Amino acid sequence: MSHVKQITKGLWERNPILVLGIGLCPTLAVTTSVINALWMTLATTFVLICSNILVSCIKNIVPSHIRIPIFITIIASFVIIVELTLKAFQPDVYKSLGIFIPLIVVNCMILGRAEEFASRNAIIPSILDGLGMGLGFGLTLFILALFRETLGANKLFGYTLIPGMKPASIMIIAPGAFFTLGLMLWAMNAIKARRKG
Amino acid sequence: MGNIIKSTLILALIAFIASMALSHINRITYPNILKQEKQKQDDALKAVLPGYTILEQKRADADGGEFKYWIGERVDNDKTLRGYAFVTEKSGYSGVVKSMVGVDERGIILGISILQQTETPGLGARCIEITSKETFFGHFFGKSTGDEEESPPWFQEQFKGLNAKRRIEILKKGDWTEDMKGELIERNAISAITGATITSRTVRDSIERGITRIKTVVAFTAEEGK
Repeated sequence: MSHVKQITKGLWERNPILVLGIGLCPTLAVTTSVINALWMTLATTFVLICSNILVSCIKNIVPSHIRIPIFITIIASFVIIVELTLKAFQPDVYKSLGIFIPLIVVNCMILGRAEEFASRNAIIPSILDGLGMGLGFGLTLFILALFRETLGANKLFGYTLIPGMKPASIMIIAPGAFFTLGLMLWAMNAIKARRKG
Repeated sequence: MGNIIKSTLILALIAFIASMALSHINRITYPNILKQEKQKQDDALKAVLPGYTILEQKRADADGGEFKYWIGERVDNDKTLRGYAFVTEKSGYSGVVKSMVGVDERGIILGISILQQTETPGLGARCIEITSKETFFGHFFGKSTGDEEESPPWFQEQFKGLNAKRRIEILKKGDWTEDMKGELIERNAISAITGATITSRTVRDSIERGITRIKTVVAFTAEEGK
């Protein structure tokens, strides 16, 4: 697999949310605003790339029966690094993402990539895989947040879009996230089906 | 047997390296985290006791934990007026809503500031919403209205001037506007956030609870005219 392919597979073919169906909890929770979605993407991608690098480095010395606790220890350490850094230097972001920063530990996308990819591949492909998956995760979050913030809060990047208009609050709560995600899945499958012929 | 020892050692080694790294990160970020928290508290105190000098911070025991309050003073003509600020909290729709409340010596609310909340974005979380006259298109396409000074969150603003010793009513009149002010103060009421009555009620109840607690440690003067 070429290096470029390694990155782009996360965006479309093996998109973590729309194809693999993992990492749904943060997806539904933080996409109420575009800014939150972007910060979540940044945090998750950082953890994903770092844990992929480390897991790939130590793949030969880790006995396979204790690999899960080791992967989790590595992932949790990076998540705490992200958490403390945000708390110290970006307190507003930390406040708005709240519990979902520590919950990156249990985002199965990260453990999934460590187990499925990084523990079986060299460092460079692992970095690219982490980057691609992070971008795919981020792009999906961004589109989802774009719809939810504009329709549900009548805002974009925190600024009011149409003054005086009442937004459809259902888009900002969980059902709105499910509807939008469902429509995105449908769109993706429709495009795939058409391509196949 | 050898297998178990080897696995244990590897696991211990990795846990050891991880904790070393984390303690280092913690040492770097800790002073900043403390600074941010102090800053947040100072800002809140300034917002709820405007014009007052904070004399001291006190703690008192209360049911279900510790109760933190501040005593402030303000010189008005030649009278010295006292003001009190306290932190109070109550469970809202999806977690604890924590706020700081400032009252003068008659029990009139000088200001409130919500310190912590995890309410639903777009509904309950609007308790910290700041009304911005600036629109998205205005901001990004250069048609700024020029009105960029930060106004206090409208939901918190409407508590100003209410009497905390009496029951604060909750009316459903939609988003607060300047011209509701007279009627709301008259009725000692606030206008609830649309679709988030629980959050509005939580803030009201937490103030009530805070007042009950602070009454045990400080004495309010009698209300004028009533």
